[in-house]
Amino acid sequence: MDKPLTVGILGAGTMGTGIATVTARAGHRTILRDLTEAAVQAGVGRVRQFLDKSVELGKMPAEQRDAAAAGLTGTTGLDDLAECDIVVEAVFEDVALKAELFGRLDDICAPTTLFHTNTSTLSVTAIAAGSSRPERVVGTHYCNPAPLMRLVEVARARQTSDEAYHATTEFLAGLGKVTVTTRDTPGFIVNRFLIPFENDCIRALEAGLGTVESIDQAVTRGLGHPMGPFTLLDIVGLEIHRAVSLSLYEQLRDARFAPPPLVEQMVAAGHLGRKTGRGFYTYDEPRMFGT
Amino acid sequence: MTTGPIAVLGFGTMGSGIAQVCAQAGFDVLVLDTGEEELARGRERMAAFLAGAADRGKITETDKAETLARVSTTTDVAALAGADLVIEAAVEDAEVKRTLLAEVAAVVGERAIIATNTSALCVTELAAAVPAPGRVAGLHFFNPAPLMPLVEVVRALQSADGTVQALMEFAGRLGKEPIEVKDRPGFLVNRLLMPYLNHVVQSFDDGLATARDIDVAVELGLGHPLGPLALLDLIGLDVHEHATQSAYEDTRDTRFAPPPLVSRMVAAGRLGRKTNSGFRTPAEEEDR
Repeated sequence: MDKPLTVGILGAGTMGTGIATVTARAGHRTILRDLTEAAVQAGVGRVRQFLDKSVELGKMPAEQRDAAAAGLTGTTGLDDLAECDIVVEAVFEDVALKAELFGRLDDICAPTTLFHTNTSTLSVTAIAAGSSRPERVVGTHYCNPAPLMRLVEVARARQTSDEAYHATTEFLAGLGKVTVTTRDTPGFIVNRFLIPFENDCIRALEAGLGTVESIDQAVTRGLGHPMGPFTLLDIVGLEIHRAVSLSLYEQLRDARFAPPPLVEQMVAAGHLGRKTGRGFYTYDEPRMFGT
Repeated sequence: MTTGPIAVLGFGTMGSGIAQVCAQAGFDVLVLDTGEEELARGRERMAAFLAGAADRGKITETDKAETLARVSTTTDVAALAGADLVIEAAVEDAEVKRTLLAEVAAVVGERAIIATNTSALCVTELAAAVPAPGRVAGLHFFNPAPLMPLVEVVRALQSADGTVQALMEFAGRLGKEPIEVKDRPGFLVNRLLMPYLNHVVQSFDDGLATARDIDVAVELGLGHPLGPLALLDLIGLDVHEHATQSAYEDTRDTRFAPPPLVSRMVAAGRLGRKTNSGFRTPAEEEDR
């Protein structure tokens, strides 16, 4: 890395803390921001926990952990992001909220600050429109869990400048990420193909073309995917899958993105997947993935 | 199930792979093809595959020799008389398969099970060409058959329970993982794969991202062993066009219809790896 930057992360949820882990680990001064002190502290704690675990597993030297932990702070105040070279927003998937946050940062950050949005389904162009310097806004979609997954999808808004785009891919390469460049279109690349595929699997189940088990087996053993669709959906959570599907469907008006009736029924019944002990499969102990 | 040899009809890519899998599981195999040249080519292909496996230490030289020794060949349909399992792996042409299956059915006993390895045709329609069609079902291997663990056992409308059951057991004896599927276009795996690949091609044609970036996103983001466009190059654009066209005609579901870019690539002779021209071939420099 040429020189450590100051990176602000908005939102201390799963993605926000994951991204904060990545930037802190790479040696950047990282400021994690959420609305309440409790949320901030929990987020900072999760980053530290991940770093400790990495040292324990021999994946990271203790000095790197110490440096990363020392460079990581938390705040509830947006003003504390004034010195950031890059601000990555990873807040709730709501265009208005994201657009408004960048608008407020216009008055706080330097004109050269890059604004990155980690949206997975929304229009980067619409989010950029909330800023008075939309040419500085770039979509950077990390995969979950961000510290482990190498891929970042980079989406240029219609307004994004070449300079902001190139600075972004360079920054991400410095984080050890592999980037792909995609048009600013709902779902980018990964979700654009994953969601209809999963919905097709659900429809095949509804149509009686196979069972939960045989369809998972067809996909893992016939196509070599690392996980069958129903195993994966149970981990993601049916209500999350429903929300992502609906968001993409509303933007694209393409029926293959629409959640099939079985999803609605499972959500209504509270069969959300592992977290409730029952989804496509049943589980003895409800547990969350990755925690 | 079987005491006599297993008859494999066709010594092409799939036929030689299936014959090899059967022979490696200890069965005697008799392969039928139209001419000595085809048979020699099929045997060569199998020998080359086994030699590769022996070089990588996956099998011993003895395994290789024994496997090849279990496979005999013929151009004479009458020679199949003693087989009690037939696996048809001829070209994906309904007329050719119907004629061949009827010929073979007339030679083998009424108790012999007749399986077709078709991937894109209707098993029920093929079964209708055979007297006593209860003995017919699909046995769909994936390419390359010796390596791919899944086998779809396809239940035609006429398939007897005993036929399906016997094929499920047989696939298990080959060391494969069988799943029973309905005789609907694409069965299960290809039914899920075809609309996905079409969607990718159309999105690529619409300028979503470069072919490389699409493949990298899917490989790293979803952990698939091969990106969709590299997979299409491997399958062959002509094979994909034929399979999707067939599924589309059967369902009139536009998700199965081959995207215009696929038809044009086929028209231009850009069929993928086999012509060294496709979405990802020849390899771009950045691919290394």
